[in-house]
Amino acid sequence: MERLLDIEELRVTLFTRRGDLKAINGLSLQVDRGETLGLVGESGCGKSMTSLAIMGLLPVPPAKVVGGSIKLEGRDLLKLSERKMQAVRGREVGIIFQDPMSSLNPVYTVGFQLGEVIRRHFKVDKAEARKRSLALLERVRIPDAERRLDSFPHELSGGMNQRVVIAMAIACEPKLLIADEPTTALDVTIQAQIVELLKEIQADSGMGMIFITHDLGVIADVADRVTVMYAGKKVEEAGIDELFDSARHPYTRGLIGATPKPGDEKRHRLVEIPGVVPSLAALPQGCAFANRCPLAFDRCRAEAPPLKQMEDGRQAACFLAEEMEESYVAPVRA
Amino acid sequence: MASPSSSQSLDLFYRFARNKGALMGLVIIFLVFGAAIAAPWLIDRDPLRIVYRPEIWPFTNARYPLGTDSLGRDILALILYGARTTLIISFAAAFTATVLGVIIGAFAAWFGGWVDEILTRLTELFQTIPNILLIMTVVAVLGQTIGNITFAIGVTMWPPIARLTRAEYLSLRDREFVLACRSMGMGNLRIMVTEILPNAIPPVIVLGSVIIGSSILFESSISFLGLGDPNVASWGALIGDGRTLIRRSWFICAIPGLAIMFTVLAMNLIGDGLNDALNPRLRDR
Repeated sequence: MERLLDIEELRVTLFTRRGDLKAINGLSLQVDRGETLGLVGESGCGKSMTSLAIMGLLPVPPAKVVGGSIKLEGRDLLKLSERKMQAVRGREVGIIFQDPMSSLNPVYTVGFQLGEVIRRHFKVDKAEARKRSLALLERVRIPDAERRLDSFPHELSGGMNQRVVIAMAIACEPKLLIADEPTTALDVTIQAQIVELLKEIQADSGMGMIFITHDLGVIADVADRVTVMYAGKKVEEAGIDELFDSARHPYTRGLIGATPKPGDEKRHRLVEIPGVVPSLAALPQGCAFANRCPLAFDRCRAEAPPLKQMEDGRQAACFLAEEMEESYVAPVRA
Repeated sequence: MASPSSSQSLDLFYRFARNKGALMGLVIIFLVFGAAIAAPWLIDRDPLRIVYRPEIWPFTNARYPLGTDSLGRDILALILYGARTTLIISFAAAFTATVLGVIIGAFAAWFGGWVDEILTRLTELFQTIPNILLIMTVVAVLGQTIGNITFAIGVTMWPPIARLTRAEYLSLRDREFVLACRSMGMGNLRIMVTEILPNAIPPVIVLGSVIIGSSILFESSISFLGLGDPNVASWGALIGDGRTLIRRSWFICAIPGLAIMFTVLAMNLIGDGLNDALNPRLRDR
């Protein structure tokens, strides 16, 4: 498949008074056309920073890209001027944020905001923009779309608003869609509908998608491939089935162990991962996960494990990656 | 800007009208506007012309219902024409102050860093100078015309607007919809003007209406001090001219004084009403 996005050795540092925080620490990832990459990790591990970096919307200061490249179809987005980047945003890369209620401007109607995006990137008149807006609302399955065009965001439910936000993100048929926790703020039944909608739109348009979440259940449903991040680094990457069958990093195993599954015979307590993510200002010399890892040994604390290339294009950053086989059981605390 | 649906503007008016004081203020302001507009039809001569004996008491002469001042000018004519001067200067000055304040506050908040530092210091600098002194100095330097007085009041009154706008922009700047707008390829200016401004403007409008009231007071003050435009009728100047006769013919000061008081009061009442209508936190008191 054709490569769409190629991030290499991306480094983003937050320069704050309390020290330099390495928010993204040498991250590489690729997205092909028509592929969905799941990006998973706990809060503060750099998922959203990655999406903002791709959009060129990092809060500068304090954040700054200190190394690496973000290539969209071979063109390094980090080298583009702000003006050129504005033409990329919305047109080539679209993004959906977490909270639909706050992603829309409260003083404008839905139709006005949709029309605005369309007219920002295409030279069309108001009537044509309205026609396209209507088609978009129908595309995201908003009932009574004609009337909804003239609704204000506060008159719509969260699920409806998220559909509107999706419509805005796909209005200019971007090549890459970043969905940054698009379902987190919604209730469960709506979550499923939104995920289905995104899958369907992606299948139709063939765009690449990065789906960011901390919910492995949702990832299992949408992603083709998953990148697991921890403390600003990739710790594991694998196809969706391989990841759930045989995760090669203790952190991934921990995440899977902490996710409820409908098929569980016995009702047992979910196993949480003990401890917290280390402070980005004081990352340990060794593996960032060592202090929480049930399998950590001396070497883990002394040197950081490199990202190993493994069979089927899998990657894992753990000294024990090869030794972890399917027989391995997620650690259970006494 | 998208026109808000008619039900929304009706809603706004109902909230405004629920405040009886605000309605009264609106009525007074309409009367003052009426007087200002109708002045040339009601009295078709130069209001500054001497028409009769000085110090005629009000309600004693049918041709000059409000009497005459120390020079023998018709007080009714001065009040009617003075309304024009007062309204033009106060509205234009408040508008100037609002535009200046919004631009400075918005830029300070949006760009932050050293831009914010410089603009905030500038705002504070202006706030340390006594308003009336600054206005007098500017008028004395530039000359006593309506345009210069408006300008002087405008460049003196912007700091509170700038501070309020800055605070509004600071709170709106980090809202997710602003990030969403940027993610759709909108530029800084575009977002500042068309996306944030409509959200930030309601409290600014409220403050602006209060500033109109203060502008009326400043205009009157400098006219009273003799720094007003000598070629136009002004309430403040009338008080100034009449002040030496205050023991004998106090009405010369009292009539324009009442006019000023009611107009300023009306503006403040309207400000209150606008606050009720536009400020969401007080909406459901």
